[in-house]
Amino acid sequence: HGVSRVAGSQTRSDQAREKELQHITRYNELVELIAETQYTVEVLNLTTKLLTENPEYYTIWNHRRRVLQHLFPTQAESASLSSDSHQTTLDLITADLSLTTSLLRQYPKCYWLWNHRYWALQVGEARLQVAAARKLWQGELQLVTIMLGADSRNFHAWSYRRFVVGELERIPAQPDEAIHSKQSQSMTEAEFAYTTKMIKANLSNFSAWHNRSKLIPKLLDERDSDDAERRHMLDNEFALIHEAFLDPFDQSIWYYHQFLMGTLSSRNSRESAIILDLTDNDQKRYCEQEINFIKEILEDEEECKWVYEVLLQYSTSFPSLKGNESVITSDDLREWLSKLRGLDPLRNGRWTDIERTLDLQSKGLVSQ
Amino acid sequence: MSLVSGPGRGGGSDSALPQELQLFVDKHVRYIQSLDKRKDELEYWLTEHLRLNGLYWGLTALHLLGHPDALPRNEVVDFVLSCLHDSGGFGAAPGHDAHMLYTVSAVQILATLDAFDDLEARVEGGRRKVAQFIANLQDAKSGTFAGDEWAECDTRFLYGALNALSLLGHMDLIDVDKAVDHVKTCANFDGGYGTGPGAESHAGQIFTCVGALSIAGRLDLVDRDKLGGWLSERQLKNGGLNGRPEKKEDVCYSWWVASSLAMIDRLHWIDQSKLTAFILSCQDPELGGLADRPGDMVDVFHTHFGIAGLSLLKFPGLAEIDPI
Repeated sequence: HGVSRVAGSQTRSDQAREKELQHITRYNELVELIAETQYTVEVLNLTTKLLTENPEYYTIWNHRRRVLQHLFPTQAESASLSSDSHQTTLDLITADLSLTTSLLRQYPKCYWLWNHRYWALQVGEARLQVAAARKLWQGELQLVTIMLGADSRNFHAWSYRRFVVGELERIPAQPDEAIHSKQSQSMTEAEFAYTTKMIKANLSNFSAWHNRSKLIPKLLDERDSDDAERRHMLDNEFALIHEAFLDPFDQSIWYYHQFLMGTLSSRNSRESAIILDLTDNDQKRYCEQEINFIKEILEDEEECKWVYEVLLQYSTSFPSLKGNESVITSDDLREWLSKLRGLDPLRNGRWTDIERTLDLQSKGLVSQ
Repeated sequence: MSLVSGPGRGGGSDSALPQELQLFVDKHVRYIQSLDKRKDELEYWLTEHLRLNGLYWGLTALHLLGHPDALPRNEVVDFVLSCLHDSGGFGAAPGHDAHMLYTVSAVQILATLDAFDDLEARVEGGRRKVAQFIANLQDAKSGTFAGDEWAECDTRFLYGALNALSLLGHMDLIDVDKAVDHVKTCANFDGGYGTGPGAESHAGQIFTCVGALSIAGRLDLVDRDKLGGWLSERQLKNGGLNGRPEKKEDVCYSWWVASSLAMIDRLHWIDQSKLTAFILSCQDPELGGLADRPGDMVDVFHTHFGIAGLSLLKFPGLAEIDPI
């Protein structure tokens, strides 16, 4: 992906060709050497060499893991809790984390690299003392924060982050403690704060908004929030988006608004819920409030297609808005559709379908 | 599109079309044929871990272009079977470990070439063996699928498993309902799906999840208007499609996004002629093949998905493709 074509790059000089052929021979020899020999440190080093050149060579990663499994102290040695065997295990794991860190800088989206890290950490947890294992996971959180700082849209990093957080929540902070309540080690508040930080740094961070949408329901449950607190949360989130309306061309904020509105729908699941005791009146009130806020944008900006799209979308999906001429008139709908067609002709097929739905609804032919 | 003269003539050198609307069929065929002859290029060896995928992409593209025999059938079958392990799984190339990704490509190639009998002839109970390898990768608790013994789980593998097993006629070996349940956990507020529970919607994952639901007969679980809306927004002003909000266009999304839209009957929600023009602009008119976007290096992955996209959009002269 993303490699430009250079004119005439297909022809190589004889010298360049010869060099490439030698490289190929060395590369293939390395592969054979790894395949033939035993599970030794020498082979481990050979795999390092090869993987540095081609981190996508998954079979070699598999082989490396087999070698490591042989190099780890045996069960008996580990059971004796000798500090030597513990150190050996830690050293081996740390070395692999180091290797993958440097490779991840060059190939931040390589599935095989992330996989190897998952494996190394899980092995570490199985074989190391709890404190050492936990320290490794904390290091992972740091790594993933750095990577998201470099590319906040890297979904591998976000997935890994959720995994690391889950592990840190699970592994006891005090090694000798009996099973503690999940509550005391939950990182939901911290992760929620992290998304706030990312959004404030860059509003267009769809990945951060997405993560936030998953955290909020969980957060409310963990805080044991009552109905008032839940409403407060929703109001705050709407307020955040209202601020962001100053730049209505940012699509991320509209998707998040869609999420918030979605929590008002009767079809919303419990696990994505914000308000639990929503009445029909509540829904009506929120819908009208939001429609009005959005309509206000049109006073300053008439050429933003998202505004019309969202207005039409909500008009068709919320019972309290359908046919509610005090908030949305049929003329409004017709005007918005026409503006949308003009501003966003690519999606004309969709606007036609929406128009058909609206016509049918106004004729009373389509049920809710 | 009524621009091309007659069936079976997707472009070629004698078309009266302006260059930007032609599909350079012959060039692409030759490009694909040349791929296995580049053993003197380091890149060839550095991509050996993708060989079976590459073969699937190349072969499928050739079939769509109307040149199914451009790669010799028996050689292809021989190569595919040389990647088979005792476990029933296929590796990317001979000597490479078995993995779901390559097993799926292998099954797809064998299905395309009508070569399941060849498999049975060489390996007794071959079909069942391969199916069992795939089925064994299902996680009993979550319903999702791992790629191999090293346990990476991803909805890509779930889709691959359902795809391959339906081709092999062995869906009975897995718990389809559990797999469907897992897909449900990957659903997001925007109607899309991610790599796993909690993950952001991504066009590639949407394709795998909707494809899986389609094969399992559970498209009822998809919010078609919501997802259709999200997918239609992938189209950018230049006609190309991206994979998620604020990202760049890439010709491979011509397949992931378009076929997802097709599966939920919303393909008309994007501008098809603009997309067609974009895909065509990704061709390398001299060397053949397609790139991720105009002016970039071509590769067989993008060649395949660009052509598949064109077929879905009913570009004349191309064989018809099923969105799943």
